[in-house]
Amino acid sequence: MSTNPQQSVEPGRRRWGVDVGLVLWPSFLASCAGSLLFFAAVDPALLRDAGPRLFAGLDREAGYALGFIFFWVIGALASALSIYLIRTERPARRTVGPEPP
Amino acid sequence: MTSPRLRLVPKPSEPAPFYAAAEKIYPREISGRFSRLREIAVVVLLGLFYGVAWLDFDGHQALLFDLPARKFHIFALTLWPQDFLYLTLLLIIAALSLFFFTALAGRLWCGYACPQTVWTELFVWIEQWTEGKRARRMKLDRGPWTAQKLLRKTAKQILWVTLAAWTGFTFVGYFTPIRTLGAGIADLSLGPWSTFWVFLYGLATYGNAGYLREQVCKYMCPYARFQSAMFDKDTLIISYDEARGEPRGPRRRGTEARAAGLGDCIDCTLCVQVCPTGIDIRHGLQYDCIACGACIDACDQVMDKMGSPRGLIRYTTEHALHARATHVVRPRMLVYAALLTLAGGVLLYSLFTRTPLILDVIRDRNALYREVHGERIENAYTLKIINLDDKPHAYRLAPSGMAGLELTAPVEPITVPSGSVSNIPARLAAPEAVAAGVHRIALTLTAVDAPRIEVYEKTRFIGPSP
Repeated sequence: MSTNPQQSVEPGRRRWGVDVGLVLWPSFLASCAGSLLFFAAVDPALLRDAGPRLFAGLDREAGYALGFIFFWVIGALASALSIYLIRTERPARRTVGPEPP
Repeated sequence: MTSPRLRLVPKPSEPAPFYAAAEKIYPREISGRFSRLREIAVVVLLGLFYGVAWLDFDGHQALLFDLPARKFHIFALTLWPQDFLYLTLLLIIAALSLFFFTALAGRLWCGYACPQTVWTELFVWIEQWTEGKRARRMKLDRGPWTAQKLLRKTAKQILWVTLAAWTGFTFVGYFTPIRTLGAGIADLSLGPWSTFWVFLYGLATYGNAGYLREQVCKYMCPYARFQSAMFDKDTLIISYDEARGEPRGPRRRGTEARAAGLGDCIDCTLCVQVCPTGIDIRHGLQYDCIACGACIDACDQVMDKMGSPRGLIRYTTEHALHARATHVVRPRMLVYAALLTLAGGVLLYSLFTRTPLILDVIRDRNALYREVHGERIENAYTLKIINLDDKPHAYRLAPSGMAGLELTAPVEPITVPSGSVSNIPARLAAPEAVAAGVHRIALTLTAVDAPRIEVYEKTRFIGPSP
């Protein structure tokens, strides 16, 4: 595909959008897998009946949805941290010399 | 695509722009063998998706992953969370099939079966129907907002949104009974979470099939990145025959290409215009290529017009392109096929021999044994009986493994409702004369109305020290 320089948006803005995608998308996939495995073993109704009072009044559907969102948020935090570490990485200066401008 | 463009080289002091904004791709409409095949795939797959949700089987929805009730109905089969093994096996089989078919014929999945492809195709049909063919769509987008443009865009949006909403509704209808869901929407009594999922899936459909399209394949799909690991030189790929096509160039119809110093490619760029991901297949195999075959159809039509043989762009293998033999049967295929057969075999075997009943026996921890009437020794247990069948059953319990061992409680038969777990206290007794020491015994639980449903569980019976 050809890249048309006139059409490229200023890099900063574009990159932000891409980063949001890179945070939300892999964590969404991870959350799908995580929810599947977790809720295959754990009935959300069990959290309501035997869990801490935090979960009182929670029905199954709400349990599934909140579980999914919980995994998503945790995954997103991990992705975001990865992106942050990648974006803020500075290569070590290996040579002695004047400060770059 | 006419002449090579000069690329701006960023000044060394500025960071290079890593991401260029994606140019909107206007795939040109095309008809031909592979387009026909994809149309069939779209109709069949979407027909199944929208249709099967409404099928009933034996008094329940035929295919229902009933999350609120924690049970899966797959036609005659009912699976519970205890049957997680099957789901695992199914996922393994799905992954192995993907490996197998990718090694065999490349990205068949991407071109014909992936939901992203299938729904994008449907959304593009709507777009063509409301906004016209490729050239018209491009003109419409460039032009000012006229009444005509507003009308066409509005019509497209109404159809897209309706379809996306129906898709979200159908999707959620596989997880909560679809008729209940429909009724809930009709009288606005739908719960907040069902509403949330319908909305989320509808929005995903609208965004992915309407706008993101090929960008999902290029930037979001992990399979697109690692599929090449399953490729080898015998894998079916879509390829431009460079040896035959080059040097490319326009010519009059009827020109003897070789005499004019040209290859068969007339550089009409139709293969690029029809490409849903906007690549030029003539640059060679690229991971953006979803192997839809649109460029083959386009090129075949051109070759027919030019009076050249078809297949300048074709399904081929790297070996075939280099005039070497292609091997369909090769170690990689045998390994994938063997693993697939094994996993499939295990799944089928375990499904056919599945007993819809689980028995756990837990010995009472409080007392080792109890003397009854001074002549018998009694042990207490808790039976955990899980009825995995889709109807209630009455069961009989038979102890074995020790002379004179009898069940004193509970009163038989024990009835357990469908899909339920019953915790039942049980007591076994044996004459004092034979009870001394530790005995390995077993309990057999049999459904009264279906002797086929029977499980056997080992436990211990403890008497006074000898």
